[in-house]
Amino acid sequence: MIQRTPFADTFTYVLMALGFVLLIGPFIVILAGASQTLQQVNSVPFRFVPQDHLLENAAAAWSRASLGTAMMNSLIMASLVTVGKVALSACTAFAIVFFRTPLKHFFFWMVFITLMLPLEVRVVPTYAVAADLFQPFRLLIAALTGIEVSVEWNLLNSYAGLTLPLIATATGTFLYRQFFMTLPDELAEAARMDGSGPARFFFDMLLPLSRTNMLALTTIMFVYGWNQYLWPLLMITDPAYKTTMMSLVALLPSENGTPDWNVTLAGSLIIMAPPLIVVAVLQRWFIRGLVATEK
Amino acid sequence: MKLSVIQSVLAGLLAATTLGASPAFAEKTKFEFWYGLSGDLSERVQDACKKFNESQADYEIVCTSQNGYDTTLQNTIAAYRAKKQPAITQIYDAGTLDLMLSGAFVPARKLMADNGYTIDWNNYFSGIANYYATSTGELNSFPFNSSTAMFYYNADAFQKAGIDFKPDTWEQVEEAARKLKAAGYECPLGFNFDPWPMLEQFSAIHNQPIATKANGYEGLDAELVFNKTKFVDHVKFFKKMADEKLFVVKTKQLGMDILPSFTSQTCQMIQTSIADHGTIGKTLPEGVKWDVAMLPVWKSTERQNSLVGGASLWVMAGRPEAEYKGAAAFLNYIATPEMAEWWSTVTGYIPVTKTGFDAMKAGGFYDKAPYKGRERAIESLAYTPTSQNTRGIRLGGFTQIRKEVSTSLEAIFMQNADVQAELDQAVERGNTVLRRFEKTYAGQKLN
Amino acid sequence: MDKRAVFKSWWLPILFALPQIALILLFFYWPAVAVMRWAFTLEPPFGGAAEFVGWANFQDVFADPFYWNSVGVSLIFAFCGTASTIVVGLVLALAVDRQLPGSGLFRFLYILPYAIAGPAAGMAFRFILSPERGLMASVNAVFPDFWNPAKYGSHALVLVIVIFAWKWAGYTFIFLLAGLQSVPRALTEAAAMDGAGPIRRAVDIQIPMLAPTLFFLLVIMMTEGFVGADTFGIVHHTTGGGPNHGTEVMVFRIVDEAFKGLNYSGASAQSIVLIGLIMVFTFIQFRFIEKRVHYK
Repeated sequence: MIQRTPFADTFTYVLMALGFVLLIGPFIVILAGASQTLQQVNSVPFRFVPQDHLLENAAAAWSRASLGTAMMNSLIMASLVTVGKVALSACTAFAIVFFRTPLKHFFFWMVFITLMLPLEVRVVPTYAVAADLFQPFRLLIAALTGIEVSVEWNLLNSYAGLTLPLIATATGTFLYRQFFMTLPDELAEAARMDGSGPARFFFDMLLPLSRTNMLALTTIMFVYGWNQYLWPLLMITDPAYKTTMMSLVALLPSENGTPDWNVTLAGSLIIMAPPLIVVAVLQRWFIRGLVATEK
Repeated sequence: MKLSVIQSVLAGLLAATTLGASPAFAEKTKFEFWYGLSGDLSERVQDACKKFNESQADYEIVCTSQNGYDTTLQNTIAAYRAKKQPAITQIYDAGTLDLMLSGAFVPARKLMADNGYTIDWNNYFSGIANYYATSTGELNSFPFNSSTAMFYYNADAFQKAGIDFKPDTWEQVEEAARKLKAAGYECPLGFNFDPWPMLEQFSAIHNQPIATKANGYEGLDAELVFNKTKFVDHVKFFKKMADEKLFVVKTKQLGMDILPSFTSQTCQMIQTSIADHGTIGKTLPEGVKWDVAMLPVWKSTERQNSLVGGASLWVMAGRPEAEYKGAAAFLNYIATPEMAEWWSTVTGYIPVTKTGFDAMKAGGFYDKAPYKGRERAIESLAYTPTSQNTRGIRLGGFTQIRKEVSTSLEAIFMQNADVQAELDQAVERGNTVLRRFEKTYAGQKLN
Repeated sequence: MDKRAVFKSWWLPILFALPQIALILLFFYWPAVAVMRWAFTLEPPFGGAAEFVGWANFQDVFADPFYWNSVGVSLIFAFCGTASTIVVGLVLALAVDRQLPGSGLFRFLYILPYAIAGPAAGMAFRFILSPERGLMASVNAVFPDFWNPAKYGSHALVLVIVIFAWKWAGYTFIFLLAGLQSVPRALTEAAAMDGAGPIRRAVDIQIPMLAPTLFFLLVIMMTEGFVGADTFGIVHHTTGGGPNHGTEVMVFRIVDEAFKGLNYSGASAQSIVLIGLIMVFTFIQFRFIEKRVHYK
């Protein structure tokens, strides 16, 4: 800095400290509340000092909301969603960018329009499809040929059902498309000269090159997958497939009166931890992913 | 088959998927039962399922709580649309007509007859059966957990406040509330915005209609009328009491619902279901004296029977024949006198059959401490023969109508909205729901 | 969008694109067709023959004062949510961009709330901003009913907006910081030599240079506020749309109408209106993104 600006510097620190209070303060309240006893957590004024009951509260929350199963399910769901999204977006972008085919515009717009169809507005019929995956095909076949086919494949209460409807991704596809377009043309040219086919080129050249991209996408998609709420809420009726977002309700202080918010907060802390760790530890990649996908 | 190859490949890729119905190698016929009860009551349902599974070797019932009556209805509908419905589902009183017109169920009588069970249908209390039966008295579903709204009060607090009468009338409730307040009780009566006791039960026992056409029993073109009945005065009375802080709003959103407000002795009077009798007895500290009574009436009212609440069990259409055998066996099993008595004992629900009630009464069940008082629910339900206004409520989309009413009550008590205007609005919006329902099922007749 | 060196196989691109296209057809387009169909018929909850009713469902929706209420609530939610996230993000980005010692740590911390799911944040805030415990109880003890989201619709709306802003402020912060860092240093340094203080420089140089980023965030955050998954999750888990429809945003109303009200047709009609709205937003956003992509 050229100027010495002690006043402005102090002001800057005040602003940053304020930001800290606003954005990190809630975490401190959660942590403090989660580590207090029932009496402490309900006392007025609230004490911001963490106590030493965190583990017992966490254990109570763990068993009350069966968090063991839920955490495992969320982990599986988030991982499958992540892997699926990364794989599919790389493949689709490859098809769009590296081939001279009239279909590329068709693919592009197919993917693009999904941005305008958020889950909330099509959730009822999506459920119907998940329940009977072949219904559209059956109806099509029946309409075209008049033949009634009776094949059914139900996705309700399964990991496939939790993940498949969420895997298609416009943002991921665009990220990959953008990345592929920044690669020099000579790369593909060279691959063609070598006589290695497009598939070889994709797996041996493009994928390794896109490692950074992949990691960035992985972090944001994992957080996305972990935080899914509406879809699991509707399509899972079997407790064995419950995800953490569904256990939130079970964590609320029981209706029979005891306002044991300490347990509730401890439970929410457990549920928040995995995406929080991803964002904290892999922050560089996470930010890169965010900025690159611009959403 | 080519298709199964695709399926197994996909299955391999996706770790775990359910591939439709797996071949029935197991000798037992499995079938599903969804229910809405949660918490303690859910555990009791699970006990019942376990007892059934242990009682015979042919069938296995798989019972799943959907955590709430409304979600059970939603999930059942979604599942039915997807052809994945359970064999048996528990639908609450408000969903009765939605199910009846759906054509998505097997009528109770048909199911039992087809599977060779003889049931004495007249054995059900008529007040209970009428809610779920067709106009000719044929039961469509099985009354399962039946209740009615009751009035609970803290006898200790009454004594300390010098109240020497029982709260039989609302005038007495007001007097008691004033005395309790004077004695330093912050919340003499706690209430929430649940229309079930406030609108539905009140209207029945005061012989007031909720809708025209005998509360909907005589046609889909029924219209709501509760903005022109004694109910309006009743809400105005509640509003006046609330303004004087004699009646206090207690909701989950405000931090404490009425039930915990009573068991924590914050509030001294509440109106809630007889099903809570067990919980209240268990939760109130030892030694606290409390009692349960029929809902109060306004002085010089001829009390009528109250309405049955709770839920009934519907057998869904479109399941394999073998499952119906199991479903019938299960429904028969839980209707046996021993099971009926067990169910009423461990919950607060009332026995649904006359013989069940008589047997329990004869056995001295209602004389002993923890269960004493529950017989008053039966008394309330059977107080008079059912009439147009007390038979039940047969309105489509009633879940939505209830929501409109509680939203109006919320506006009246929380935001000081005008009573008449809000109730008019609830009626108007409720009628829109009814008209849409009528149009959706145009050409269908109530049977 | 064209590259010079391209492969010429006709079946390979189809093979590569097929998995995603199939999923999109199944889980996006097919359901969207059903929504279109239901919006013009009266769909019975349990299925079965549905009667064609033309625009009647739309007329019902538009005649419903609570629908317009939900539009209003959504507008307030999206505007206030967007404004607060952008203001907070901008102030913090300007502060951190001065690169004083320790600002790296703040940068690291500010992003953390973005990791939290709306409903989970909602649950925590139900405690943090509860009227009778947590932070506000002390205030309420002095001024009774100063803060009571269970009672007052406006308080409840503030509550859900706060949660939304808390989660998304870190997101706008990232973009604005990135934007600031691409402002040529020479420009600010020259201004500093001319004697312009930090605030002067921020207002005169940095913020105008951020205009494209700000516009981009405006569109993104408005979309997120209207139809984002978090919007539904926060409202559903925190206030349930209440009290008295006070926080009933459009997406919440759609899901509630369909699943609680069993009115699939009314919900579908509302969905179509919302999709139209999203198309407008997406159109603006896409034109803008495309430009950025080309000139980068």
